[in-house]
Amino acid sequence: MEYIIITIGFALTIFGLYGILSQKNMIKIIIGFSLFTTGINIVMVAIGFIRGGTAPILDEAGKEIGKYVDPLPQALVLTSIVIGLGVTALMLAYVMKLYQDKKSLNINDYKDLKW
Amino acid sequence: MDYSIQKFLWTLLGLFIVLNWGFLMGSTMRRIGARLAGRVGVPIYQPWIDMIKMISLRTYLSHGVLYYIGPVFRLVGGIGMFLFMPVLVGSEIWSNYSFSGDLILLLYFQSFGMLGMALGASESGSPNATIGISRGLAQFAAVEVPMTLAVIAIAIQHHTFSFSEILDAQQGGFMNWTLFTNPLASIAGMLAMLGAMSHSPFNLVKAPNEIPIGPPTEYHSSFLSVLRTNSAIIHVVEAALFMNLFFGGADTWFMYIIKTFFVYFISVFIGMVFPRFKIEDSVRWFLKWPTVIGIIAVLVAAYWK
Amino acid sequence: MVGPIYIIAIALGLAFFLGFFGKSLKDVSAFLMLAGLAFMTFISGQWLLAFFNGSVTTQEIFTAGFRPPYSINLRMGYEEAVMTTMINVIGFLGGVYMFKRLKEVGNSAMSVFIVLIMSLNVIVMTRDLFNLFVFVEIGSIATAGMIILEKNSKSLQAGLKYLMATGVISGLLLIGIIFAYYFAGSLNIDGIITAHVGVTKAGAVAVFLIIAVLVLELKPFPANGWGLDVYQSAKPGFGAIVSAATATAGLYVLYKVLPMGGETWYPYIVLIGLITFVGSNLVGTRQKDANRLLGYSSIGQIGLVMTVIGLQPILGSKFSFIAFALLLNHYLAKAGLFWLSGIIKKEKISDWYVLRKNKALLILFVIFIFALIGFPPFPSFFGKYELIMSLVSTENIWIAVLILLGSFAEGIYMFKWLGDVLKDEDQTEESLNISWNKFIPIVIVGVSLLAAGFYSTPYVEGAHYFYFIPLGFIVFMGLIDFLPAYVKNTLSIAGMTYYSYIIYPLVEGDLMRTIFFVIFMIGGILTLIVGYNKKGKREGFYPVALMMYAGLATILTSDSMFGFFFGWELMTAGSYFLIIRGKRSKPHAYSYMLFSVAGAYLILLGFAFAYTSAGTQDLIALKDIAVYTTLAYTLLAVGFMTKTASLGLHIWLPGAHGEAESDVSPMVSAILLKAGVFGLMLLFLYMGQQTGETLLFVLGWVGAFTALVGNLAAVFQEDAKRLLAYSSIGQLGYILFAIAMMTQLGWLAGFTYVINHFLFKAILFIVVGGIVVRTGTHNLYQMGGLLKKMPFSFVAVLIGIITLAGIPPLSGFAGKWLFYNAVVLKGWYIQGVIVFFAGSIAFMYAFKLIHSIFLGQLKDNHRNIKELSPAILIPAYILIGGIIYFSAYPQNVLEPIGNMLSAYFPATVDWSGDGLATTVLSYWNGNAVLIIIVTTFILVLAYLKLITGKTTKLEQFNIAYSAERPFRPETTHVSYNMFAGLNKAIGFLIAPGITRFWKNISDMVLDLAGFIRRLYSGNGQVYAVHIIIYIVIFYFISLG
Repeated sequence: MEYIIITIGFALTIFGLYGILSQKNMIKIIIGFSLFTTGINIVMVAIGFIRGGTAPILDEAGKEIGKYVDPLPQALVLTSIVIGLGVTALMLAYVMKLYQDKKSLNINDYKDLKW
Repeated sequence: MDYSIQKFLWTLLGLFIVLNWGFLMGSTMRRIGARLAGRVGVPIYQPWIDMIKMISLRTYLSHGVLYYIGPVFRLVGGIGMFLFMPVLVGSEIWSNYSFSGDLILLLYFQSFGMLGMALGASESGSPNATIGISRGLAQFAAVEVPMTLAVIAIAIQHHTFSFSEILDAQQGGFMNWTLFTNPLASIAGMLAMLGAMSHSPFNLVKAPNEIPIGPPTEYHSSFLSVLRTNSAIIHVVEAALFMNLFFGGADTWFMYIIKTFFVYFISVFIGMVFPRFKIEDSVRWFLKWPTVIGIIAVLVAAYWK
Repeated sequence: MVGPIYIIAIALGLAFFLGFFGKSLKDVSAFLMLAGLAFMTFISGQWLLAFFNGSVTTQEIFTAGFRPPYSINLRMGYEEAVMTTMINVIGFLGGVYMFKRLKEVGNSAMSVFIVLIMSLNVIVMTRDLFNLFVFVEIGSIATAGMIILEKNSKSLQAGLKYLMATGVISGLLLIGIIFAYYFAGSLNIDGIITAHVGVTKAGAVAVFLIIAVLVLELKPFPANGWGLDVYQSAKPGFGAIVSAATATAGLYVLYKVLPMGGETWYPYIVLIGLITFVGSNLVGTRQKDANRLLGYSSIGQIGLVMTVIGLQPILGSKFSFIAFALLLNHYLAKAGLFWLSGIIKKEKISDWYVLRKNKALLILFVIFIFALIGFPPFPSFFGKYELIMSLVSTENIWIAVLILLGSFAEGIYMFKWLGDVLKDEDQTEESLNISWNKFIPIVIVGVSLLAAGFYSTPYVEGAHYFYFIPLGFIVFMGLIDFLPAYVKNTLSIAGMTYYSYIIYPLVEGDLMRTIFFVIFMIGGILTLIVGYNKKGKREGFYPVALMMYAGLATILTSDSMFGFFFGWELMTAGSYFLIIRGKRSKPHAYSYMLFSVAGAYLILLGFAFAYTSAGTQDLIALKDIAVYTTLAYTLLAVGFMTKTASLGLHIWLPGAHGEAESDVSPMVSAILLKAGVFGLMLLFLYMGQQTGETLLFVLGWVGAFTALVGNLAAVFQEDAKRLLAYSSIGQLGYILFAIAMMTQLGWLAGFTYVINHFLFKAILFIVVGGIVVRTGTHNLYQMGGLLKKMPFSFVAVLIGIITLAGIPPLSGFAGKWLFYNAVVLKGWYIQGVIVFFAGSIAFMYAFKLIHSIFLGQLKDNHRNIKELSPAILIPAYILIGGIIYFSAYPQNVLEPIGNMLSAYFPATVDWSGDGLATTVLSYWNGNAVLIIIVTTFILVLAYLKLITGKTTKLEQFNIAYSAERPFRPETTHVSYNMFAGLNKAIGFLIAPGITRFWKNISDMVLDLAGFIRRLYSGNGQVYAVHIIIYIVIFYFISLG
């Protein structure tokens, strides 16, 4: 089960990466980034998963040792999602500013700096 | 009498002989040249007459101090070359001041007179003088190459730069002359001599028809007489240099006169036959065959050492 | 003691708090921000101090009351204290620098800035991988936020590319972290290290991803287009933060996590660092945009430090010093340069000449450039020296070579830039607008660089504080630069005299050093006397002149290779500034510098081999180098020959010496060139005839051809000073040839030439330089007939050229005589003849020089010209005194030298009491020759006087010239192309083949750089692709 999820996660990551590298529209590139990070997050959760484990919440039901799924990856994923949100927002802000400047969303139009 | 004064007087006598022999040799050569051209030529005493005439002129014009001392430099150069070379083989009294330096000194002392003369003549501002000098320096540089090679070949052969030792090695029959013991070096040296003597085809320093006699063009009266004195001395001394290097030197004044005459005659004779080179041709010529022969001479000498 | 956790607390609190402040409280919030940064600096600074005193030990800070792996922990150790202090200091100074701009933009910008600095602190301190990830991300976001400070299209584009790149990178980091956790069961770096995850294949992939990502954060070449764009387009004030602070943090993280993978990963880091250092600097050579250029340089320098980090196992105990020296150097210099850029506000480096409007900024700029290239007394000099020594002694020669290549490439563009700044024509009226808040940070980093250099001293074997004494005096001279020239001249002479007095005991008893001591120090004082001729302030002249002499003195007195190299580089720097003072000197000073730097690197490598072989920095190590013997000696010889301008390495000299100021030419020609000779002599003595047989033979030929080509080229010069410059090449060729013979006679000849060349070239350059100023032209054909106007100058030049041409009776002939003997005894006949031919040619340009200036026709515009000032003539005549003494009593000089040399070579020359010198071949009595010639001269002169009556003085033009009186001196003065015939015959020998050769080489380098930099297409996606490809290639190299 977790292997399927890991595979799906990686597939999403690759899809996202493909989008980042192949799309010319900057909005689509940002969507690629979202896919990319989501895929990674799925992989992270899957890695921390223990079959038959419970949510890592300290309550009476979960006092049996070893029955929690690893809480750490989940914490990481939460942080990672927040960061991903920040990055996406900032990127969108950039794209907006750029669009105001040149009225184009094609990344090929923004090559003023080179060499 | 004090030895140094004695020495000085003997040297002065030698200089006197050489000077007069130079005059005589000069007029003789001019006569020979004239005969070859079908003319009568100057009388044999013409140089002395010229001297008297030049000294007794009443007008002395000067372009400045340097112009004035230019001929002095020139004559000191000529006399110096005489002083630093022994006259006769193995003779103490005729060894001049050759104890203070040897062949190397002599080679470099040639420049002393040249430089002074060049400076004096240049001060006049005459373009002809400077053109002559520039040609002379270029040719001198080129001539030095085979000359140096020849000298080095001899130095390797005899393992010395000292005149007396080079001369000693050549004594005991003409087969001991460098001319026969080291023919390649001799050829290179004699070819260089053609340039050193500045006769046709290498006479573009003075080139009478193009740049009226070049460096001395502004000189006259007593100044010219000093220059003439120098050229008389230097012709003999240059010939003596090659005589000492290649022809076994001279042990008597008679041999000295005979040998210097023939050495000098070689250059004059070739001058009669060949027309004048342009300066670039002259430079190229000296850097070609004489240099190649000289290099071979050095290599051979080094190999046999 | 305030705990390091407060750095984070204060920053976060402040950043949060500032958000509540309205626009009306901008001033308050700006000061709060500065106060916060200051307090952060204070916290890390006090820890640093405590560690420095040894009063604390490494502290682990546990959060949330748990120990790792159950919580995040921070560490404050000595290293962390250093790094956080560096980051916070630059943060604070950067805050001061950007104060106004941040205030303009508003509170949000200040918050972002504080958060950025805080995140860098945490990156350094954290021992937890995930925490690291979080703060790397926070740092990236803050950086992207700061980039928009410059609100234009370019910075927006750069910001987006930056976000895209870091987005991809951080995704990969996350994958790496989660796998590392999966295999190690811990996110704690120390836990992962102890778990040895790298041993399994899958674990190695995790480690690989983490390391690769941290490397990519450092913008390795060539996957760094996004980083370059940031450097180029962001506010320079912020560029300084990225280059100094972010890079410091990034490098430290790499250093921190590398042990996770174990030993095997270090070589890859070395490789990546080297590629980055060399590649980035190479591509930088084509860059014209100042900020982007700084970007290339930053990335290059970071690559260098990365290399050093990778070399940690090899460098052992020296690692800390080298890495820190190089990092600190980059950190200070690059921050300073970026800040300067913010003041200059010019995109093109060719527009930076406005920097000259402010002397202080100009000096700081110079400090930063020289620090980056690794000149003394900056920390990078010490660091690089130690680095190269360690690398070579551990058999990592190729790494050393590549590092030097990269440094050289950096020199190519840095000195180009410096030349533009110093010399480009000022085309603007606008003055520099400098506010104090921008000025002070730059001064602080500049002064820190100098201090850091000073405090590097104890870490390097062979370094002494003693070397800094003259530097102190130079700084003093710099501070009193506003005084008139004659005051400074007097002070300089006094200073040099006193310093000579101090160091004399160090050379006393060593005749060879004493001779060079006289040339360097006494010669230096004499050439300084000429400076009294100059009016005005002569701004900037004295510090650099003294720097050159300080370098020369250090070369002479040092007993260690390090000291020698220190002096060598100091001298190079000083002479560079002296040379570039000439009006048209820019390209020549540039090529001088490039040749010098390359030469210095060769010397450095040679020293490193010697060090490897002997295990000591003492100069004696040069004796019998046992490893790579031939290579080591060849490197050293070629290195020294760049300074003696031997054939092939000479193309810088004519312009550099010819275009220099009138009193600089004698300094750099008569004196400076002898430094190279000193180096060669030292080298040959240590090397010995046996070891260097082939090398010496080749050098003999090189010397002979140098003499020929140098002299021949001099003959065809129309420029008086270039003629003398080419003549120097020729004369130095003689010297090289003479000492390459390795016989007593050869060395005696060499010493004679050294002394003579010093004497006559100083005279000629002093006098001719003065005449060039007087006549207002360099061209010989525009002079003429000056004899009557300047008789004293004429006599000086006359003595000079007689010595030069080697005509008896002056001392030049001593050299020729020794030469002939040496050549025949050595058996180098053909080479010898080439040298003698060169000597005859020297006679030609000697005549051309004196004729064209003093003889021939006086020009109309020179009719009222005056004799040179006594300030010029007095030193010249003192030197003439030297020539006369040497000519009259050559024995007094040559005999002691000969005796000294007989310790090294079999004695072949004898001296009798009355001045007669004898060899097996020849004899010569200089004293007698002089007497005979002078006597004859007097007699003949008296005779001429006797037979000549009163002379009539002729007017100019009154000559026998086709019955004309030529009134135009220009048409009658024979000078232009004087030796046309010779040119036609053998002029082909000096066809500019060597110049063309070097031109082709430099074109090739620039073309290559131009080709490579097309990688940076400007497209953000392409940069992302670069990153992916980089990772893939890195993977296949390291794990594949």
